[in-house]
Amino acid sequence: MKNDKARLEALAQFVIGEAKRLGATDSDVSISTWSSVDTTVRMGDVEKLETAAQGRSLTVRVFVGKVVTTANTSDFTRRALTKVVRSLIVVAKAAQPDEFAGLPDKEDLASLIPDLDLADTSMSKLSVADKIAMAKSCESAALGFDTRINNSQGASFSDSFGLTVYANSRGFLGSYNGSRCSLSCSIIAQQGDSMQTDGWHTSNRKLANLGSPDSIGQEAARRVLRRLGAVRGSSQEVPVVFDPVMAAQLLGQFAGVAYGSAIHRRTSFLVDKLGEQVACPELTIIDDGLMPGGLGSRPFNGEGQASRQRTIVDNGVLASYFLDSYSARKLGTKPNGGSQTNLYIKPGTKTPEEIIKTVKNGLYLTHVSGPGFNGVTGDYSRGASGIWIENGELAYPVQEITIAGNVLAMLKSVEEIGNDLEFRSSVASPTLKIGSMMIAGK
Amino acid sequence: MKELTTPSQYLSKTFGLTPAQLEKVLGIAIGSRDKGAFSDIYFQVGTTEGLVYDQGILKNPSRSDVSGAGVRVVIGDKTGYSYTDHVNFRNLTTAARNAATIALHSQAVEPVQVGPARKPHNLYPLEGVLIGLPLQEKVDLLMMIDKECRKYDPRIKNVTASLSIQDETVVIVTSLGDLILDRRPLVRLGVSCLAEEGSRRETGSSSGGGRVDFEFFLEDDRWKKHAQKAASEAIGLLSAVEAPAGEMTVVLGNGWPGVLIHEAVGHGLEGDFNRKGTSAFSKMIGQKVASDLCTIIDDGTVPGRRGSLNIDDEGVPTGNTVLIEKGVLKGYLQDRTNGGLMRQGSTGNGRRESYRNVPMPRMTNTYLAGGQSTPEEIIKSVKRGLYAVTFGGGQVDITNGDYTFSATSAILIEDGKLTKAVKGATLIGNGPKSLHNVSMVGNDMALDEGTGTCGKRGQSVPVGVGMPTIRIDGVTVGGTGR
Repeated sequence: MKNDKARLEALAQFVIGEAKRLGATDSDVSISTWSSVDTTVRMGDVEKLETAAQGRSLTVRVFVGKVVTTANTSDFTRRALTKVVRSLIVVAKAAQPDEFAGLPDKEDLASLIPDLDLADTSMSKLSVADKIAMAKSCESAALGFDTRINNSQGASFSDSFGLTVYANSRGFLGSYNGSRCSLSCSIIAQQGDSMQTDGWHTSNRKLANLGSPDSIGQEAARRVLRRLGAVRGSSQEVPVVFDPVMAAQLLGQFAGVAYGSAIHRRTSFLVDKLGEQVACPELTIIDDGLMPGGLGSRPFNGEGQASRQRTIVDNGVLASYFLDSYSARKLGTKPNGGSQTNLYIKPGTKTPEEIIKTVKNGLYLTHVSGPGFNGVTGDYSRGASGIWIENGELAYPVQEITIAGNVLAMLKSVEEIGNDLEFRSSVASPTLKIGSMMIAGK
Repeated sequence: MKELTTPSQYLSKTFGLTPAQLEKVLGIAIGSRDKGAFSDIYFQVGTTEGLVYDQGILKNPSRSDVSGAGVRVVIGDKTGYSYTDHVNFRNLTTAARNAATIALHSQAVEPVQVGPARKPHNLYPLEGVLIGLPLQEKVDLLMMIDKECRKYDPRIKNVTASLSIQDETVVIVTSLGDLILDRRPLVRLGVSCLAEEGSRRETGSSSGGGRVDFEFFLEDDRWKKHAQKAASEAIGLLSAVEAPAGEMTVVLGNGWPGVLIHEAVGHGLEGDFNRKGTSAFSKMIGQKVASDLCTIIDDGTVPGRRGSLNIDDEGVPTGNTVLIEKGVLKGYLQDRTNGGLMRQGSTGNGRRESYRNVPMPRMTNTYLAGGQSTPEEIIKSVKRGLYAVTFGGGQVDITNGDYTFSATSAILIEDGKLTKAVKGATLIGNGPKSLHNVSMVGNDMALDEGTGTCGKRGQSVPVGVGMPTIRIDGVTVGGTGR
C-alpha cells in the first residue's frame, strides 16, 4: 500500500511536469485507485461475486492562461499520459478563455493533511466466505421473521479500499486512503393480492461499526411488513412527517441548489437569499468535512482545499453556499471547501413517536419516487407511499399518491425536528414534520 | 478513411492479445468442463468529448478515455465477475481467476441455452472519424444555439448548450465461440434556457441525438428546433399557474412522453424480475394488462437510434420484441442468463453500463404502437383535463407496480380546448392497472428525439422511448392547486 502511494504521487507529479514542459501555465491531477469485492446471496444461496482488483482513474486539468481543458483516463502508462496532456494543450489553444478559470489561490490550499481515520485495513482479513456468511445471515434473519415474507431480491456485503491523490502545479501534493463496507438486504412480502418490497442497509468506513446482519435483516422485515395491504390515499392537504431517510433525501435536494454553480448560473431558488430566512428558526444545517470516520469526510477536496465545518443554514437563516474556487471567483467571494461532505440537520428533542402523536390526520412518509423537484423554483411534486396517521397513531399503509409543495415553503413550515439523527450515509437528518403539503390520490 | 478490422486484429492491435491468449483466459474462467459454465470477455475502448457553452462562453472542453475489460462466468443462476482497467494478458488472467471463484459455490448445471441465431445488424454505419475533430465547427453550433434562444425572447437570461460526442468499440468473446466487434457512435445535444421576469425564474430544456455523427444536428435544422423548444418552454412557464391535484383525464403528446411506457410496463417485464417472481407482472403472460388499444414493443433495431444496438452487451443481435399485443401480455425482455433459465432464450436485451458491470435485461427503444385517432380529436374529446408534452423522467416500484413520471410543464384542457399553461407535476399510476384506462390512441406515433438514459441497480444505459398522442382517464396528477 505504501508503495502504491509513492508510485502514484510520482505519477501525478510526472503529469504536472509534462503539462509544464508542453506549454501549460498551470495544471492539476486527481488519481483514485480502488479494490472492491461485492458478494450477493439470494434465497440462501450465492448469486453473484464481483471483484475489482485494480480499479483506477486519473483526471488531469490543463490551464493555458485562462483556458482550461480536462481529460479522464484509466491508462496510467507514461506514454499515454503524455499523449493525453498534449491533446489537451492542442484543444486549449483552440478554445476560449474564461476569466474565472484557474487553480485555487495558494493561501486556500490545505497546508496540513489531517488523519480523519477514514481507512480500516481489518477488512482485508475477511475471506469471501466470511462475507457470504454475513449476507446469508442478514437475508435469513429477514426471511425467517414472518411467514408473509416469502421472496427476496437478495442481500449483499460489499467492501472497498481506495487511495486518492491530488497534486497541482502550485506545489500541493496530498493523498489519503479510504475504506467502506456495507451490508444490505431487500425482500418481498405477500398478503393476498398485495406484494411489497422494502429493504434496509448499513454502511460504514469501519467493519466493527457495521450494523449486525440480524439487525439489518429484521429491520428490512419490519419495513416490508408495514407496507402490506396498502390502499390509495385520497386528495387532501395535511401535515407530512418525513422519516429520517426521506428527510435526508429532502436535505440532499436542498443542498444541491445551494451549490455555487447553481447560484452563479441563477438556476436555484436560493439565489440572492444569503442572510435571509429560508427555513423555520429551529432548523440548522451543518456540513462537516472533518468528522472522524465520516462517510463523507475528506482531509482536502478535489482542488486541494482544506475541509472544514460549515453552517449552511443557521437557525433558519441561509448562512453559506457550497463554494469551489470557480464559483467563489464568479460570485466575488472566498471558496469554502467546495462540495458537500457530511451533511446533516441538527437534531431536536422529540422522539419520532412524540412527533407522530402531534398529527391528527396526516402522512408518515417512507418512500418517494420520480425526479419531481425543480431546483429553480423549489417546486416539489413526487410519487409517495407511507403510513397514514390517525389521531397520533400510525394507522394503515397508503400508496399510489403524490405529495406536492414548494421546498422553501416546506422548510419554513417545519413544525417538529426529531432527536433521531443517525449517520447511516453522508447525508443525514432526524425525523421532520412539515406543517402542510398537498396530497393527490383518489 | 475506411478501416476494416476483424475483432482479432483489433484486440491484437489495441492490447497485443493473441487468439491463443483469449482462449487461455476463457479456459481459466470456465474451469473444469463439467460445471456447464458460460464465460465471456467484454472489451470496451472509447473516447467521449464534451463541450459546454454557458453564460456566453465555452467552458472546460473535456475528454474521457475508456479502456478496459470484464471477465464473467455464469453457472446456472450464479455469476462471477471481475474487471481490469488496464488490459493485458496478465491482468485478464487475474480477472478470469477472480470470476472463476463462483464455481466454488456452484453445483454443475446444464449448459446455457443458446437463443435462435440471428444476424447482427448494421444500424449505425459510420466510416469517418468522430473524435479529435477541430473545435471550431462545434463551438460555432453552440454559439448559434445561444443566439437563437436569446433571440426568441429578451426574457431568456442564460443559455446552456452542451454537446457530447462518443466513439466506442466493444469486442465480445464468449466460450461459445463468438468473437464480435461493434463500433458504437453516440452523440447528444442538450439545450437549457433560463427565463427571468421580475422575481420569477423558470428553465426549459430540449435535447436529442443518436448513434450518428455530429452533422446530424445541422441536418433539418435540428439544432434550431431544440433551441426554440427550450426557450419556449422556459417562457411559457413564466406565466404558468399551479398544476391541479387529483384524478383526471390526461392527454400525453407523442414521442418522449413514452417514458410512461418505459416505467409503467417496460421495467416490470424485464426477465430478471420475472424469473425471481418479484415483479407485479410476474406470471401474467397471456393476461389482459392494458386496454385493447395498447400494443407495446421493444425494438433495438431502429437505425441510428440512441437505444439501438447491432448486438447487445452479451454479443446477441438485438431484436424486435412484442411485450403487449392488443392489451395482452406477450413476452419479457431477456438476457442470456435469465432467458436461459426461463427457457425462452435471449431477446438481445442483455446490456451493461461498462466493462465494470455485469449485464442485465434492459430496454432498448420501447414504444406504444400507433392507433387511429388524430391528436386533435383526442384533445377535443376531453371536457376537463391536462395535456402534457414535456417530461423529465420517471421511476417505478417493480414489486407493487406503482410508477411515476414527471411533467415539466403542461396545458389545461377545458371543453376540448387548450387553455392555461400549468407548472410541472408528477403523475402516478399502477403498472398492471392503469393502462386499462388508455381510451384513445393517436395516429402520430413517434420515437423521442434521442435523449433518454435509464438507470437500474446503479447502471445507466442510453435508451429510446416512443408513443403516439394518447388519452388516459383517471390519472392522479400531483399538483398543488385545487
